[in-house]
Amino acid sequence: MSGLSALTGSNNYFEDFAVGRRMRHARSATVDEVENNYISKQVMNTAQTHWNEQYLAGSPLGDGRLVFGLVTGSVTVGLASQDTSENALCELGLDAVRFKGPLHHGDTITAYTEVLEAADSPDRDDAGIVRFKHWGRNQHGEVVCEAERLVLIKRRSHWAQR
Amino acid sequence: MFDHHWGRTITHGDNVLFSTAMCNWNPMYLNAEFARAHGHPDMVVNPMLVLCTVVGLSVEDLSEIGGPFLGMEEVRFHQPVYPGDTLTASSRVVEARESQTRPHTGIVTWHTKAHNQDRDLVVDYRRTNLVAKRRPPGA
Repeated sequence: MSGLSALTGSNNYFEDFAVGRRMRHARSATVDEVENNYISKQVMNTAQTHWNEQYLAGSPLGDGRLVFGLVTGSVTVGLASQDTSENALCELGLDAVRFKGPLHHGDTITAYTEVLEAADSPDRDDAGIVRFKHWGRNQHGEVVCEAERLVLIKRRSHWAQR
Repeated sequence: MFDHHWGRTITHGDNVLFSTAMCNWNPMYLNAEFARAHGHPDMVVNPMLVLCTVVGLSVEDLSEIGGPFLGMEEVRFHQPVYPGDTLTASSRVVEARESQTRPHTGIVTWHTKAHNQDRDLVVDYRRTNLVAKRRPPGA
């Protein structure tokens, strides 16, 4: 396949991630039947708090289905992905993943990012490693999850002409 | 030590559904020709799907009894997963302590590992939850 670089953005290579840069990602997403109810079952999460509307009725956690924490986290990463990992070679890992408060069906997540570190890769000279901090807020502005994420990202110098 | 139930073969359909539902429209996960041009044999399975699946396989053994999922540390993706790969997971308890603020619960940390069908380690992590006690104080 030729013209690889035409398929992805030109402002999100390794060189673009200066430490301290902050982003509020452009799109927000509402979490509902597909994102939580189905994905929780798809990944065989047997905890029915995520897919039984009656299970928590009247509980201190609030009525209705609670969103699986990793769905909240995956939506947050997804909303951040075009800006932060469209030119990634691979995801390396996550640290300091924290679920700060409950998210319910119908709530909407907006994702934010700060660049914490940018370093050479020990294994390859055509890419570098960026450590991002991501966080997601609900429609009331409350932080519902946060995580640090390590991504191996292409260098413009090696990939922009491919 | 827990060897978790079921195992899971990840399909193209799983990967496409998950990646699109999560707004993660990365061509490495959704454009097979793009992925092949980067040396992969097929589209790469979104690592967040790998992580969600491994946690999902562990829920009945570890956390279904209830208590909030507090967080994870040292999640490491060791190698790519491709459609058709089969994941199995196991966990061991690394810490279990009393909650200072909630006498009916404890705080438990597990180290979970997942392997593919060739016994290659694909992801491991530490996960911490509040877990209800079998006999709460005063019960």
